[in-house]
Amino acid sequence: MHELALTRDIVAIVCEAAGGRRIHKVTLEVGKMSCVMPEAIEFCFDAVAQGTRAEGARLDIRRTDGEELNVTTMEIEETS
Amino acid sequence: MCGHCGCGEKHEHVHADGTRHSHAHHDDHDHPATLVELQTRILAKNDALAARNRAWFAGREILAVNLVSSPGAGKTTLLERTIRDLQDQHAIGVLEGDQATTLDGDRIRAAGAPVVQVNTGTGCHLEADMVARGLSDLRPPSRSVLFIENVGNLVCPAMFDLGERAKVVILSVTEGEDKPLKYPHMFRAASLMLINKIDLLPHVDFDLARVMANAREVNPEMSALRLSARTGEGMEQWYDWLRRELTAAAEAAFT
Repeated sequence: MHELALTRDIVAIVCEAAGGRRIHKVTLEVGKMSCVMPEAIEFCFDAVAQGTRAEGARLDIRRTDGEELNVTTMEIEETS
Repeated sequence: MCGHCGCGEKHEHVHADGTRHSHAHHDDHDHPATLVELQTRILAKNDALAARNRAWFAGREILAVNLVSSPGAGKTTLLERTIRDLQDQHAIGVLEGDQATTLDGDRIRAAGAPVVQVNTGTGCHLEADMVARGLSDLRPPSRSVLFIENVGNLVCPAMFDLGERAKVVILSVTEGEDKPLKYPHMFRAASLMLINKIDLLPHVDFDLARVMANAREVNPEMSALRLSARTGEGMEQWYDWLRRELTAAAEAAFT
């Protein structure tokens, strides 16, 4: 299942960009022609995120028509 | 009220498309959040590693071919014959991808080529970093041909660039003619389609014209060759293709 490998990449991308801050939400763009099942990413995400700064984060997957496969935005905790 | 921290605040934020909206403070975050624009391709890491492999191949004028097919289409048999027929003319190395066992690796070794078996475990495809690790073990010499035998699967290997010069998809006549239509990503990503096991054509209902039309529909640029890795019929055209690509790979290093 390639979605597991992709989900690992997603978690790595957001954790690196978050710089140690907690991640509340991750928004993805998954094209219909991308060969990727959003349900499978959702299925993998919680398990892959466990023990990282993305643990418990909400996943918002937006379907597009092309071959897009992007992490578009994330919401992270504000610095105090 | 937020069940987590007891606050009753509304939380407002701006989405990537510019729409601003607010919703009740969710119990999945205790503090106001900062929205961060990423716009990062999920495959960026694999693609960066693939680019590194590609540069490594180019610097050594190595022709790297990524062989993909369904399980049982005849990738390993094709390689065995290719190695036996060409090893006197060209150095050939093989990275062998399978979920488990070293069975295919053993067959390649018996045919006479150096091979590194890359077991993907639960993974259904090879990724660029696995190829990089395999290369550090195999150390293929300059101007050699490197075959990367991917995991037998027509779905995922289409997505993961390994740094190869070309993907070659193998379709055997015991499969359906509709495979190019069913797995368009793979057939679109391939430069060459090999129709294998043509010695079995008299025994199966396989319409060559239809498979060619289907392949052309998804990828008009793709070349196609018919052969039998078992009898050797048609193999010479495959070797000609390899020789042309080997020359092109050597030239590409300086362009």
